[in-house]
Amino acid sequence: MYSLELSPEQIEIRDTIRDFVAREIKPFAQQSARLEALDRRLPLQLLDQVSQMGLRALALSEASGGVGVDNLTCCIVTEEFATGDPDIAAVLSHTATLAHVLFDQAMSAEQRSRFLPSFLGEDRHHLAFAELEASSDPALGMNYHRPETSEAALKTIAAREGDVWIVNGTKTCVPNAPIADLFAVEVQTPGTHGPSTLLVPAKSAGLTVNEPDQTTRWYHGACGDVSFDNVRVPAENLLGPQGGSPLRRILADLATPQLAALNLGIGRAAYEAALDYAQLRVQGGRRIIEHQAIGVKLADVAIKLEVARAIIWQAAWASDHPEAHASRSVSALPLGAIAQTFAAETIYGCTKQAVECFGAMAVMRDMPLQKHVHDALICLHSGTGTSDAKLRIAEALAGYRRPTAMLAAE
Amino acid sequence: MDFSLSNEQRHWQMTARKFADEEIRPISLARDAIAEPRETFDWDIIKKGSKLGFRTMAVPKEWGGQGTDFVTQALVMTELARGDSAISKTFSQNWKWSHLISATCTEEQKGRFLRPFVEDDTFLLGKGISEPSAGSDNRLPPADDPKAGLKLRAERHGDEWILNGEKCFIANAPVGKLFFIDARTNPNVPLREGTTMFLVPRDTPGFRIGKVFNKNGWRFYQNGEMIFENARVPHANVVGQVNASDVKSKLAGDRSGGDIFGDLELAANALGVCLEACDQAMRHARAAKQGGKILFEQQIIQLKLNKMHMLTEALRSFVMRVAWEHDQKLNSNCAGLAMNFSSDVIHEVTELNLDIHGAFGGIVNKAVEKLVRDALIWTHLAADNVQRMKAARRLGR
Repeated sequence: MYSLELSPEQIEIRDTIRDFVAREIKPFAQQSARLEALDRRLPLQLLDQVSQMGLRALALSEASGGVGVDNLTCCIVTEEFATGDPDIAAVLSHTATLAHVLFDQAMSAEQRSRFLPSFLGEDRHHLAFAELEASSDPALGMNYHRPETSEAALKTIAAREGDVWIVNGTKTCVPNAPIADLFAVEVQTPGTHGPSTLLVPAKSAGLTVNEPDQTTRWYHGACGDVSFDNVRVPAENLLGPQGGSPLRRILADLATPQLAALNLGIGRAAYEAALDYAQLRVQGGRRIIEHQAIGVKLADVAIKLEVARAIIWQAAWASDHPEAHASRSVSALPLGAIAQTFAAETIYGCTKQAVECFGAMAVMRDMPLQKHVHDALICLHSGTGTSDAKLRIAEALAGYRRPTAMLAAE
Repeated sequence: MDFSLSNEQRHWQMTARKFADEEIRPISLARDAIAEPRETFDWDIIKKGSKLGFRTMAVPKEWGGQGTDFVTQALVMTELARGDSAISKTFSQNWKWSHLISATCTEEQKGRFLRPFVEDDTFLLGKGISEPSAGSDNRLPPADDPKAGLKLRAERHGDEWILNGEKCFIANAPVGKLFFIDARTNPNVPLREGTTMFLVPRDTPGFRIGKVFNKNGWRFYQNGEMIFENARVPHANVVGQVNASDVKSKLAGDRSGGDIFGDLELAANALGVCLEACDQAMRHARAAKQGGKILFEQQIIQLKLNKMHMLTEALRSFVMRVAWEHDQKLNSNCAGLAMNFSSDVIHEVTELNLDIHGAFGGIVNKAVEKLVRDALIWTHLAADNVQRMKAARRLGR
């Protein structure tokens, strides 16, 4: 049944996090050193506190020892964290999503029994999915409405040697890499066409992580390039079948608009800052919110953020209720991609409108507005960009069915 | 209608283009990347540019300048901005105030200030208006509120004025040698009736520069606080009349420069940034590959390139028309509109450039990303509500 009423549990989670963000995260995030958009240190202590609240295991099923909330609740949580600090929101949503995907869906019982205890037991245990390589070309682009030619094989190779896989190669732009304890790594195995996935502990000999320079690499949370130099991985760490890497498909099916929720939190931070300031700053003999020009600007931002939240929540709810597709209660279009594209393009504009309320202060590196704009710009250019997302949506409009491999990059 | 440039205009344009290509662009990204805001500046590029006339080209020939017209000034700002928008602005900021000196200062003041300015390659100018609690109120003062607007106080003691207060967000403050300072000489009347403009040399007793602001764009261009603690300025340094700082319109009419030059300046500078963005985008589209083909083959890329060039060429037409109108001494309302438009265009064009380059895997091209940061400066300078309403009010008059 169509309802916009949150459960008491969802409201409690939201309010708890909103309170935590106000008390603990914002005072930290608004220090001038933290506002340097291109020189951010990951706030590990705050992440520990958040882990102790159970949020790494937010999406992990209760049967596995997690909180077991749905995608909608995850989006609400991510939005709240992102109003305080998008890096914290990104790390958490990444680990929480992968925990659900890996432990609840992709791992065998034997693998779960080996890897789950340390995930549950250690507050700093984070997860990463190493997928991309420097030569990856995941954009749809030229292949729009055409069957893709042949997908290039991965250059990270796993060769079997007795009971182990020997892994060599380099993965790039891996979210959570610098803090991850366990990697799911897509590799090419000899003799199979599609990629396979191996579970590789971070402390494996021969595995190194390089953190990029933030001035040339845009990301939220943590990110790194991961190199494998004759890394020996037990044969039983193969995730799913050889040549049938399961993670991309599971993540695509999950269709959660969590990135859009993170983006929404960024927009809200800019909006709330502008609204507060507009009620304090006096020019022209009155508070600037009392000037029409500022009033309509803030109204415009509020409208856009409400509409963004509506589509994000609808997409999240739809991903939690596949039966709603079957009953034709919700659109058959890719709502997650629609939500993310709308949020990315709209919220960047919202942060720029918020900028206008602050005059010259908005461009100063020790003030928050330029960071909100930068954060929104990161979202706008995440993945393969909004134009490419629209090409995928357009294929869906036309009912074009693409063979599995290309789906993955969505 | 004749859009051709004179030989002299063409010569200035080519000299500026060469200077941008050979001297400015090679240092632009490195200067932008310096974290400490007061270290981004480079006197070497200023001296080199000054020797080519880029510091003094708006000063009349009889005072030792190059006496260029507005069309030439627009051409040069645009070319320099192709290399680096902030470096272009550092040069043209001097033109803005040399227009003001020419139009409003006495011969005696010109002798004391314009002459040393022309002769010294490191002599930069600035103007102090904004204060922490007075930004928009200075540009669009409420007619009935004496409390609104700048508060820096100037009181007369014999042949001297004693200045107390502070200014913020002042361009060239950390590097300038001479500043025009607006101060309240009658705090009991509205801003326009109680403000006087003073010429304040950097070594004035009681005057110092405070914090240097750490801007996210235009990082080369210095911007700082000014602090006045019983700063003593001779009465001979009053520009125009006491309680009549608004000399730009009152004494000199619309042809003096001042706002009109400032409006043209931001539009012409934006044009340079947009031209650079178009070049970057076209180069990338013809070199980078996706799906085995160059990007340029894709319709969505062609449409973005079309929009970038369409907006940039429209801006070029508008900028050159406004410059020409200034030279013809036509009383046009277009300068403010061109400046507002330049903000819309520079945002869209630099963002499309970033879009075409993409940031796949979060990897960004620094030269591309810098233009987006520089463009954000236009928001508060060229196209906030106040600047747009000012342009509309001129039309509605």
